[in-house]
Amino acid sequence: MANSATLTTDTKTQWGGGKSPFSISYGKLMMWIFLLSDAFTFSSLLVSYGFVRYSFSGNVETPWPSPDMVFNHFPFTDAHLPLMFVSLMTFILIFSSVTMVLAVEAGHRMAKNEVVKYMILTIIGGAAFLGCQAWEWAHFIHGANPKTLADGTVIAGANLFQNEYGPVAFADLFFIVTGFHGVHVFSGVVLNIVVLLQTMNGTFEKRGHYEMVEKVGLYWHFVDLVWVFVFTFYYLI
Amino acid sequence: MSAHTAEHLEHTESPSDMKAQIWKTFWILLAFTLVDIALYFVLSPSMFRNWVFIILGVVKAFFIVSIFMHMKFERKFLAWMIVLPMILVVYLITLMVTEAKYVDDHVNKDSVAKPATEQVDDKHAH
Repeated sequence: MANSATLTTDTKTQWGGGKSPFSISYGKLMMWIFLLSDAFTFSSLLVSYGFVRYSFSGNVETPWPSPDMVFNHFPFTDAHLPLMFVSLMTFILIFSSVTMVLAVEAGHRMAKNEVVKYMILTIIGGAAFLGCQAWEWAHFIHGANPKTLADGTVIAGANLFQNEYGPVAFADLFFIVTGFHGVHVFSGVVLNIVVLLQTMNGTFEKRGHYEMVEKVGLYWHFVDLVWVFVFTFYYLI
Repeated sequence: MSAHTAEHLEHTESPSDMKAQIWKTFWILLAFTLVDIALYFVLSPSMFRNWVFIILGVVKAFFIVSIFMHMKFERKFLAWMIVLPMILVVYLITLMVTEAKYVDDHVNKDSVAKPATEQVDDKHAH
């Protein structure tokens, strides 16, 4: 009797106590733990950004640039539009988060076609965000107003070693923070595509539940959550 | 398969009006983002404005985690397990801002003030 009970918990539920801790499944709990550790990584990046930026506050030679003098462009127009493009990106990501949570909700009702519909919308949102970010990066790298130094060197745009807008650290931190977030969005889109294909194959219908959609959903919302803070720290402050 | 399904059913269930709550959260998030953008143009840069943006960010995070990530309907202990370390991260931010102030004072302001102190030293030498 005791033997068979051990066998059941080990192979099926992974828990020794007969009931999952916190009334949450193994996969979802581990996803939360992973997201917590990932939040630490993003926190360390944003904390170092805050440290470097604040330590520049009395620097008169290479002052920290105001974000509206750097990110003030919008595709297909030369108008000065600070914050508009990044607000559009924020809106796209929030909306893809909504379609993701609607897919999770449809999964609870075992509505396969609705899950497929909302997963496709989420993937489109993620891809649109990545496209916007590629445009933003290209614009930042190419630059707008080349700067000539006292010794005649011309600095155009920004990369890891030079930055026409201000300190090199500004460009370095921009690339690492938005780049690390962009990699997360990209992996999220890949995971969403995998889950979409499995949904279309009927894998979750056979399994009896759509928990995999919930787990990928947790990851996707986390990516949205991180963007809220990247938007706040990099573009607003 | 049956054990797996049973474990799934063990979850704290979503409320029946989940869809309405999702859309309500979406409008709240959109409104706070629009407030962010409006304040960016209305207020001039200051530490007060920075704090307003950070607080609005935390409020948005609260809505994403509690509704979209379903945390509101999970066990309280799980919520604390995630939230408590993040509160300690806020403490880390406070420490690092203090350190950054020190670096700013000693690197930037010292380099501006240095020629003056050297002159004083010269006078003393004469």
